[in-house]
Amino acid sequence: MSETPAAKPPEEPKGPGLCGQFLKDHGIATTRLPDSCGVETIEIDGAHLEAAMKLLRGSSEIKLDYLVAVSGVDSADTFDSVYQLWSYSNNNELIIKVRVKKTDVVEGQLPLVPSLARFWSAANWHERETYDLVGIRYYGHPYLRRILNVWDWDGHPLRRDYKQLVDALNDKAPGSFR
Amino acid sequence: MATDTEVDLTPRLKTDEMLINMGPQHPATHGVLRLILTLDGEIVRHTEPILGHLHRAQEWQGQNRTWFQYQALIDRVDYLSGMFTSWAMARAAEVVDGCEVPERAEYLRVMVSEMNRITSHLLWLGTYLIDLGAMFGFPFYPFREREKLLELFEEIAGQRMMFNYIRIGGVMRNPKDAWLSKLKKFTEEFPDRVDEYEAIVTENPIFLKRTKGVGILRKELGMDYGITGPSIRASGVNIDLRRTKPYSVYPKLKFDVPVNDRDGDTFDRYIFRIREMRQSNEIIKQCLDMLPQGEISGKKQIAGLRVKAGEGFAAVESPRGTLGCYIISNGSDRAYRIKWRNPSFCNLSILPELLKNHPIADVMAIFGSIDVILPDVDR
Amino acid sequence: MRNGAEILKLGTLTITWWCIIFGAVWIACYLVGVALPMMLSSYDSDMARMTAETLKALTPILSVLVFIPINAMFMVLIERRALAIFTVRLGPNRVGPDGYLQTAADAVKLLFKEDITPHGADAFMFTLAPIVFFAPSIFGAMPLLAAVTNYHELFQIVNLPTGIFFILAASSVPVVGIVMGGWASNNKYSLVGGLRSAAQAISYEIPLVLSLVTICLLAGSLDVVQIAKQQSGGILNWNILGGGALRGLDAALALKFSNSAASLQQLSAMSPEQVIKSSYVEPTMAALGLAAGQESMATIIAVIAVLVLIGATFIAYGLYMTGACAEINRIPFDLPEAESELVSGYNTEYSGIKFAIFFLAEFTNLFIVASIAAVMFLGGGDCPVPAWLGNALGGPQLASVINQVLNPLIQIKLVDPPTLFAAIWVILKVYSIVFFAVLIRGTLPRFRIDQLMDFGWKRLIPLSLIVFLLVVFAREFVNVHVGS
Repeated sequence: MSETPAAKPPEEPKGPGLCGQFLKDHGIATTRLPDSCGVETIEIDGAHLEAAMKLLRGSSEIKLDYLVAVSGVDSADTFDSVYQLWSYSNNNELIIKVRVKKTDVVEGQLPLVPSLARFWSAANWHERETYDLVGIRYYGHPYLRRILNVWDWDGHPLRRDYKQLVDALNDKAPGSFR
Repeated sequence: MATDTEVDLTPRLKTDEMLINMGPQHPATHGVLRLILTLDGEIVRHTEPILGHLHRAQEWQGQNRTWFQYQALIDRVDYLSGMFTSWAMARAAEVVDGCEVPERAEYLRVMVSEMNRITSHLLWLGTYLIDLGAMFGFPFYPFREREKLLELFEEIAGQRMMFNYIRIGGVMRNPKDAWLSKLKKFTEEFPDRVDEYEAIVTENPIFLKRTKGVGILRKELGMDYGITGPSIRASGVNIDLRRTKPYSVYPKLKFDVPVNDRDGDTFDRYIFRIREMRQSNEIIKQCLDMLPQGEISGKKQIAGLRVKAGEGFAAVESPRGTLGCYIISNGSDRAYRIKWRNPSFCNLSILPELLKNHPIADVMAIFGSIDVILPDVDR
Repeated sequence: MRNGAEILKLGTLTITWWCIIFGAVWIACYLVGVALPMMLSSYDSDMARMTAETLKALTPILSVLVFIPINAMFMVLIERRALAIFTVRLGPNRVGPDGYLQTAADAVKLLFKEDITPHGADAFMFTLAPIVFFAPSIFGAMPLLAAVTNYHELFQIVNLPTGIFFILAASSVPVVGIVMGGWASNNKYSLVGGLRSAAQAISYEIPLVLSLVTICLLAGSLDVVQIAKQQSGGILNWNILGGGALRGLDAALALKFSNSAASLQQLSAMSPEQVIKSSYVEPTMAALGLAAGQESMATIIAVIAVLVLIGATFIAYGLYMTGACAEINRIPFDLPEAESELVSGYNTEYSGIKFAIFFLAEFTNLFIVASIAAVMFLGGGDCPVPAWLGNALGGPQLASVINQVLNPLIQIKLVDPPTLFAAIWVILKVYSIVFFAVLIRGTLPRFRIDQLMDFGWKRLIPLSLIVFLLVVFAREFVNVHVGS
């Protein structure tokens, strides 16, 4: 179950790409990751995420104004929060990853990533979903509740170490709602 | 201390806002959506959608079933347009895997998907009129045409809704000549049928009264929420992946994407879906003329189907909007992570904004007009 | 063609069910109103005479009690089958021969269902609501019975001099039942449905009543029997076409017709000169240039008045049908039970027999408003074919043949020919209106509540007032229904 994805990473790309360069010009440091199928992929520190997003969304030259999806990935040693950004007008595409090392996560708590929901409504439900399924806590989210599972569900099903505590179909416990 | 001269001016009647639970067993919520509406009289002040009544853990299935097994499951993600969910995953897997898709397969994919777009819009048309209260009359007419297409699907895929026809690397089966001629006949008579619908609906005064100026979706708001599909094109944003990020053989086909020039209301969303049906019909016609001979699959369809390691995102333009699939593969026979970007899920998130300050009768008119399908929301 | 076969099936179904319904009512009335009293008359005692009279007096209510449940079953069935045809489906065709018994089975099912009173509901009000909703449909339409049976002696007892007034008063009671049910259900959907119903009934009762008042004004009477009788003599005399304003045209056509085909039977006892000279004929005839008249101011005014009158009464009919549709909560005015918004509105929480009563009353109300329209606008039991045309087409011969065939039945007083013919025409008219309502239901979407109010208060009420005034003035220049 816990094999690592992308076992043979291709050679590291040389310099930053278009968006990486743009962010670098505005003083935000990024790390370029291997392109995922031809789309520029960068890693960014959680603290700079919101500022970077505001820049990318607002600037006329990049104008990545379409947040396609926010996904959570439980990778081998990190929790990734992956943002797919597109542009309505230009043909730009960008994938941003915020990685939280599993060793940095406090025992018994969830990995923390800043929320975008306050200034980008599209992120609202996607972040709730990622919180629900992968268990990444987006701090600053206005209404971070479970969205697909019931409110009292235990655990986060898309974690690699997820064990279902209650067999929902054969739950004979008295007083159980399931 | 109260004296006799003091008058109690607080109102005696309770005029609180009323909480009302719409769904999950409500007849018009298209499945099992629950809306908690805060009503002031009959005016909706606040809406909270509660999702997940139909959650089937499709993403979890994706990382616990082999690719070959999962292909058959994903038609259920959006059961009204199963071709598109298949196609989105097949595209993502092909992008990651790097395998070639034969041209004939691409044409067949476009053809069946556009057919599926028509069936989906037809069903939407019928149910939308039911939402507006045309309970028993007209709604069944779209089903007449849908039935014909479903029969064609049955012939080519063996199934009427869960097709499992588009596979990673190609399509499942070659159509017979008889099938193609039946489809041709359908495309010839279909525009007349659409005229028929338009004659009875588009100029119906009650329909116009119910839809014009109701649920106006501002362009900026829609872009902020990431709305896609006909709903946002009716509000003037030109995002149709078939044109803006062309895939498959769409660049070779001639068709226009209808885009509105103002903020759209529910009537615009209706009329743009109607136009899209006509466009799809044209696309099918062209595909029938241009269909080349050749292989139909670039990858061997075996139970041990594997996708090379890597990650990628691919999207198709489904009847409801951008249907994306984000795949991380580690080269084994099953995915490491599959994330669905469902148009219904994203489009539904704008519902609270659209419903604000509309009467309760418009809840269904607006909810129906953004064309949400609940299995697609809940996965 | 499949559709043709379906329509044929619908026709046979309709005729079969009509035979069942009206046969049952007819036989019940005969037994109680004629046969039993005749048997009792052989005993020469006060007790027997009193019993016979009581039985005769009870006949109308018995007929209604027999009629309503069977008729509601039939109407539900015909609505489902007709809607199925409109919507390219098949409809219920499994229970009994070709689905004839579907609604009977449904009724049995409803009767045996559990009767649930929701938690927190006001049980007394909850039970009372369907009764209040249903009761007026039993007693409300009583005066109509006298009109539609051609004033048969058994039904004379239910006639009132202020019949239409009574009917309107009774038909405004059911809304109390709806509000009551909505309030007592302890359900927010029901409550909203009940409130909507109250608002809607208040707004649409005004055009409804005003259109009927217009007809009463035209007829100069509130007595439904008299209003029906005034309209006798063919379609040109009906209230929907100006209420006798075209009587002159009728007479003139009769003259022309009988002159050109002299061999045909004489149209009436009246001589042609008498017809022309009778005062109400002249304006219409002058207008149509059928009589050599002088073009005086009075003639022109009369012509205009006749045209205005015809237009006004026709609009009044439309207003009545619209108001009636709203009054009985049918699409496009079915907001109190708007399924896509309020689940089922005021009857959401009802089940079993209480729901059945709501259902029954709804369809009975549809039937009643259709009968009011038939009596007030469409001439009641009158044959639409004018006498002169009927005579030309061999009406009297047909009537005599029918009389001969029915003679044994007439002898035992089972059949009274005038009542029979009146009943047949009324049935045809009423069910045509019902069918039209079904057709509307199969076509239109639903209004929104504020649009409904706008439509009612800003369009229908001013229009009905205008129609009323037009009729008031036009009637001054045209003699309608005078002397009949």
